[in-house]
Amino acid sequence: MQRDWISPPPGGLGVGLAGVGKRFGERSVLDGVSLDVRPGEFVAIVGRSGCGKSTLLRLLAGLDTPTSGEVRLGGAPSAARRDDVRIMFQEARLLPWRTVLQNVRLGLDGADASARARDALAQVGLADRAGEWPSVLSGGQRQRVALARALVHRPRLLLLDEPLGALDALTRIEMQRLVESVWRELRFTAVLVTHDVAEAVALADRVLLVEDGRVTLDEPVALPRPRAHGSPAFAALEGRVLARVLKEPPPADDASKPRLVA
Amino acid sequence: MSAAADRLRGLAAWIVPLLVIAGWEAASRSGWLSTRILPEPLAVARAFLSLARSGELAHDVAISSGRALAGLAIGGGLGLVLGLLTGTFKVAETLLDTTLQMVRNVPPLALIPLVILWFGIDESAKLFLVAIGVFFPIYLNTTHGIKSVDAGLIEMARSYGLKGWPLYREVILPGALPSILVGLRFSLGLMWVLLIVAETISAQSGIGYMTMNAREFLQTDVVLVGVLLYALLGKLADLVARGLERRFLRWNPAYQPALA
Repeated sequence: MQRDWISPPPGGLGVGLAGVGKRFGERSVLDGVSLDVRPGEFVAIVGRSGCGKSTLLRLLAGLDTPTSGEVRLGGAPSAARRDDVRIMFQEARLLPWRTVLQNVRLGLDGADASARARDALAQVGLADRAGEWPSVLSGGQRQRVALARALVHRPRLLLLDEPLGALDALTRIEMQRLVESVWRELRFTAVLVTHDVAEAVALADRVLLVEDGRVTLDEPVALPRPRAHGSPAFAALEGRVLARVLKEPPPADDASKPRLVA
Repeated sequence: MSAAADRLRGLAAWIVPLLVIAGWEAASRSGWLSTRILPEPLAVARAFLSLARSGELAHDVAISSGRALAGLAIGGGLGLVLGLLTGTFKVAETLLDTTLQMVRNVPPLALIPLVILWFGIDESAKLFLVAIGVFFPIYLNTTHGIKSVDAGLIEMARSYGLKGWPLYREVILPGALPSILVGLRFSLGLMWVLLIVAETISAQSGIGYMTMNAREFLQTDVVLVGVLLYALLGKLADLVARGLERRFLRWNPAYQPALA
């Protein structure tokens, strides 16, 4: 694959949150979240529905502003949306009236915009679908186009808001591998919000648990990559995090036990 | 379905109209149907040809079409602009929408006496009637179209740095277009209805003038030519609207030819 526009690799953006809170009217969604993400690190945020994990991501994306505290990106206070921060949503959010290629080059200028968009499409394995309408693509292909659309801007921070949540199990594992491989190659910082603990353990260097608007667990994942879903160490870690999410007593280290979430 | 079966079905659709015309022709020839009531189809065709040859037909069609299109341009253009305004800006909606919704409930034809008082019976009266009639379908559907653009897409585009005109061009207008085109189709239907009424009240030229004139001289065949012309022009307007939909909405699976 030709990707000469990637050189030199832009490198990841460090993320720092200091006492960040967010209220919507009377309701407090985030309450004093402090967190540091190293440049190039892959962090997964898990938590139950409505725990505030998506809000946290939207603060990082500049789509919302915190009510209190400070968000720092690359050492500088982040005021608004930045061009080196890209977000992938749960739905692909492709413009249905633009072709796949036009979708990928959304917001790009310059004479080489189309060439760069084509390269990004090739990177996600969809070079041959450039001229098609999004409506003919499958759910997994649409998310791959959305990934290409984010990558074409050479993001230094990629935010993933459960982008694989709506995909079937096989497509999801394929997409996880794709996300992991582009992350390893381009070395951006990645923050993934997910409700799937196995996905978090498969992809992240660190798994954070958000509960009641706070970070209540910060679990490093020291497994070598690429990670095999079935390995005992993987299963043990996944079981431990899942038990913590469900507030159950941690399971005995026994990989033969049935797992709750695939 | 095979192509041959498709074609057969297409031909079958014409059986009933052809039978009706054949029955009509037979009834007129046998004298059962008075030519005063309904002249035979051939006579209508002859009237059509002679009007076409004298140039009268082309002249009247051009005049009527000109009026219809001018009315559409004025009313539809205003509807589009105001619809875009109220759809985009909350202030414009607050200021304008209630008023326009009240005016909308007045049937345009109820304004005829007022229109004659204001404009007399010349061209501006006809333009006014057509314009006010086509205004509302386009206005309402444009406003609705803009408001129903997927908020997720707008948020996505903003997060990619689009704002102002590029955001409008890439996301909001294309998102509203299906609805705007529905409004245009409604308007094109109304456009001819209103023009027919306006031309029937009073006109010195146009298809309405031709038919009203023919009525005075009891030329039922020419009246029928006028009726058929309106039908043809209406159908033509509908075809144009559908062509626009197919051109501009080809991204939408509902408008792709394979499924149409």
